[in-house]
Amino acid sequence: MKLLTHNMLTSHVKGVTKGYPLLIKATEVKVNDVDFNPQFVCRMIPKLEWSALVEAADLLGHRQDLPSELVPDYEKNEDFLKKVHRALLEVEVIEGCLQCPESGREFPISRGIPNMLLNEDEV
Amino acid sequence: VGSLLMKETDSAIITVYIGATVPTGFEHTAAEEVQEKIGVDARISKDRGRIYFPISTDKLFQVHRLRSVDNLFVVVEEYDHYQFKESKEETLMELQQLASKLPWSNALKVWELNRSLKKKKGHRKGGNSTRVKPDSEASVADTRQQELPRETSPAGGDAKTESVADPESCQQDSEEALPEARLIKFRVTCNRAGDKHSFSSNEAARDFGGAVQEFFQWKADMTKFDIEVLLNIHNEEVVVGIALTEESLHRRNISHFGPTTLRSTLCYGMLRLCKPQVSDVILDPMCGTGAIPLEGAIEFNSSFYVAGDNNDMAVNRTVNNVSHIQKRRADKGSSSGLPIDTVQWDVCNLPIKTSSVDIIITDMPFGKRMGSRKKNWDLYPSCLREMARVCRPGSGKAVLLTQDKKCFAKAVSQMGGLWRKVLTVWVNVGGLHAGVYLLKRTAAVFGQTPEDVRQPRGMAGTQMDERDNK
Repeated sequence: MKLLTHNMLTSHVKGVTKGYPLLIKATEVKVNDVDFNPQFVCRMIPKLEWSALVEAADLLGHRQDLPSELVPDYEKNEDFLKKVHRALLEVEVIEGCLQCPESGREFPISRGIPNMLLNEDEV
Repeated sequence: VGSLLMKETDSAIITVYIGATVPTGFEHTAAEEVQEKIGVDARISKDRGRIYFPISTDKLFQVHRLRSVDNLFVVVEEYDHYQFKESKEETLMELQQLASKLPWSNALKVWELNRSLKKKKGHRKGGNSTRVKPDSEASVADTRQQELPRETSPAGGDAKTESVADPESCQQDSEEALPEARLIKFRVTCNRAGDKHSFSSNEAARDFGGAVQEFFQWKADMTKFDIEVLLNIHNEEVVVGIALTEESLHRRNISHFGPTTLRSTLCYGMLRLCKPQVSDVILDPMCGTGAIPLEGAIEFNSSFYVAGDNNDMAVNRTVNNVSHIQKRRADKGSSSGLPIDTVQWDVCNLPIKTSSVDIIITDMPFGKRMGSRKKNWDLYPSCLREMARVCRPGSGKAVLLTQDKKCFAKAVSQMGGLWRKVLTVWVNVGGLHAGVYLLKRTAAVFGQTPEDVRQPRGMAGTQMDERDNK
């Protein structure tokens, strides 16, 4: 699971209203090599929940001193964009789980695949 | 007559016509791709699923970059209004005489050039069809591998595809340099469509093939051939060509098949239809073995793909297919990571934030191939509702493939406040008539139209702006 995906995932357990962001508990993390596209990163940033990304990257030990709040004019800062690129696309949680912040329900991650299926009583 | 194949390197650049078979319905997108990647205008044939375009031999390698094409051939000769003789005997006699009169030379040069191009690429044997990786877990063999990749046109009462040889194509394994150093082996394949012909494709292939053999002194071999001569007859249109591809190239990305894996050319056509932009988030919520998002991650790699399915085997196969491609890229020395992720989820209850997805693209269960018609009545409306929720209002799009057109039409009409139908492409999938629907997400915010009776999922505070810059 990449952090870009994590940024979009939310708990959908019945009754939960504050199911985002999911807490990450990782037992195996991998870093890949993905082609850097500055335009992609630039245009993706406004679509993100920035604090959730930074928190997740921090927890996995790959924060790379990303700031807690976006600095203006980041579009021209290639160094910054490369760090965001790495956090979004290159860091992957292979084994572990995601936890709903409200209900505590855990969704396992195995082979990089989070299993978000709910049981019948949770729907 | 000896061989017409040149021994000395003939460096003169010539221009020939290339014919390409594409998934029916996607002729225009294929022509677009040809314009984009080769820079020439393609002509769409009346014989559906075929386009033709000119190319000079110095640019020949570019044809192998085309992703919307199933098979390629070089045209030897083309007749728009071939006047067939009255009787079968005369017609077949004429076809035999044709063999020695055709301008084979340029086409054969291109065939040879193409062969050397493929060798340089280290072309894998048998394309990407049905090889199972030795260390993979059991993969279900694709049940549709029996179908001929050559589409037959149902137009006209009597459309048939018949080959003289066994339709299973065989990869030549010769590494020998010059063709004349050993005997050339060939076969003829005839596609015939139209209700006014006095002969069958079998007969045409047999007689034409016999004359070709006589003329070139090649050896006829149904399975281990070097040259495949194509005789395509569609009413009055007759095209003689030489194949440039082996038959099974349209599953290029997939090594781990499932029961309904879509061919990559169809995936590509669907992706082109939704015009992925830089940073688009693209979801396939019923991804099966991941054919569509994987094709997207390779060909439209400035977007980000999330592939999801509820089925264990499906998500595992998707991950295997992605790993397979990544490993192949790593082996070639390029950066291997693809912009794609896989999640296990229920399409009717997506664990995704509201309004966070730009494009939804998927192959919806058909009912005949997977699932059931009754299930679709409930599934389709729930699907469309949930997809509308996660899709960005105003700018979002969906490209949905389904054979259950009635059910789909009903579901869409129920969702008029959220989805607007833009266009439909009629295609053929595994012999079944299906539709690819392009939908636009209306500007209506989810939770405020009569359709979405359920509580919208909590829109967790995003700093998202409402910029609609697409």
